[in-house]
Amino acid sequence: MKDIILKASSIKRELVILLCCFAAAELLNLAAVIFYSRPAIELLSMIGYVIVFSIITYLLLWIPRLVALLIKKISITR
Amino acid sequence: MERRDFIKEFGLGAGALAAVPWLASCVRKPDAAKGDKARLALIGSGSRGQYHIHMLRGIANAELVAICDPYEVNLQAALALCPTAKAYSDYRRVLEDTSIDGVIIATPLGSHARITLDAISAGKHVFCEKAMALTLDECKAVYDAYTHSDKALYYCMQRMYDEKYVKGVQMIRDGLIGDVVGMRCHWFRNADWRREVPSPELERKINWRLYRENSAGLMTELACHQLEVCNWVADRMPVEVAGLGDIVYWKDGREVYDSVSLTYRYSDGRKISYESLISNKFNGMEDQILGKNGTVDLTRGVFYLEEDNLEPGIKRLAKQIVDKTFAAIPTAGPSWRPELRSAYAPHPLIEGQVSVNAGQSMVSADHDGSDLILEAFCNSCITGSKAESVVEEAYCATTLCLLGNQAMDEKRVVSFPSEYKIPYMKF
Repeated sequence: MKDIILKASSIKRELVILLCCFAAAELLNLAAVIFYSRPAIELLSMIGYVIVFSIITYLLLWIPRLVALLIKKISITR
Repeated sequence: MERRDFIKEFGLGAGALAAVPWLASCVRKPDAAKGDKARLALIGSGSRGQYHIHMLRGIANAELVAICDPYEVNLQAALALCPTAKAYSDYRRVLEDTSIDGVIIATPLGSHARITLDAISAGKHVFCEKAMALTLDECKAVYDAYTHSDKALYYCMQRMYDEKYVKGVQMIRDGLIGDVVGMRCHWFRNADWRREVPSPELERKINWRLYRENSAGLMTELACHQLEVCNWVADRMPVEVAGLGDIVYWKDGREVYDSVSLTYRYSDGRKISYESLISNKFNGMEDQILGKNGTVDLTRGVFYLEEDNLEPGIKRLAKQIVDKTFAAIPTAGPSWRPELRSAYAPHPLIEGQVSVNAGQSMVSADHDGSDLILEAFCNSCITGSKAESVVEEAYCATTLCLLGNQAMDEKRVVSFPSEYKIPYMKF
């Protein structure tokens, strides 16, 4: 069986992407608070929703990334 | 704020008094000496009478001095709860006792009017269980006697003193759910409504609710409370009623319906849709006030908004995204879609723990306003002051119940008869 090596740079890159997803979700929360005229406390109290949004976004991002990875692999083998 | 204090504070507010004038009776007048006690007699010591004994124990200015019941079993059960009280089997002997300030009547409906009239004649203040009386003529006779007397008369319409109802009605009037467009009340149970009878000759006495000589059935026993709330919200009386009543399941010799379905119509077209069934409890008991912008369920002390602006922003956004992404073909728009009841988010009418008497158990049964209305009665016994609008509300609710029964019996639309109208009524 082959060992899987996770490089520090890969982990850092994934964490940065996840952080960006979290920031995007929180921005979405801010937009919702402004759009629906909700109290600002929802920026904190709705953190559960924000986390779920960030994880979903992160997972969704894997779809184009996997496609890109696949294309890259195919072009290298040719 | 404590529940009791809330009602008292509410009763003092000048603005609130217009909507709930009876709450002023919760506040003792300053001229009443501290330590004064209302000397009371209980007439009818069955389960409801014993419930009142339980309530009186928590009221500092109440003293139960006499208990009356012709049925020895109930009399002894009540005396066990209050051994210092004097026992009577004939209510007329109780009324002869000049040391008694007021009487609490918890007898079968058929005797409410007679005992109330005798008690008022004897110079007693009266607290009577709902409904007011068994017939329209009796209701009118009691109402006339009350208006010509200086004695206080209360009917145990406890929703009038229940915090969630008081606050809820106030919020509805303040525009919480927009224009009130209808009312939907029901009371479903799955029980035969029978009590155990030790010997057959007592059947009609113990199970009095099932027989017409003493009962008007589901209407006076259950609907009475709910119709009162509807009038309170609408601030007027329905002009007519239609309905159907049947004995659907409990065909055990009873004479009152076990299934009723009625529609009361106000002059502006709004309606009360009322239903009660005692062979299925799925829908439970609900007093729903339907507004253009939302619904208030007074029974549970919650409200729902059609467009829920109180829902967190991100939750609403997520719903919109899901709706836009997964919605079916939008042909013809919302008017075409089948509308199943949505999972509306409930919002509380009052902060803190809401006392709900669900009816299936006695938990919270003593915090439904019954204690406060009884305390208000004790205040009246001491100060001699009448409670505003309590008798009038009971009169309106009871007459509607009796007209509902008439509509069901005669299978026709019954308009409110002019001879039973009182000045308090607005149509």
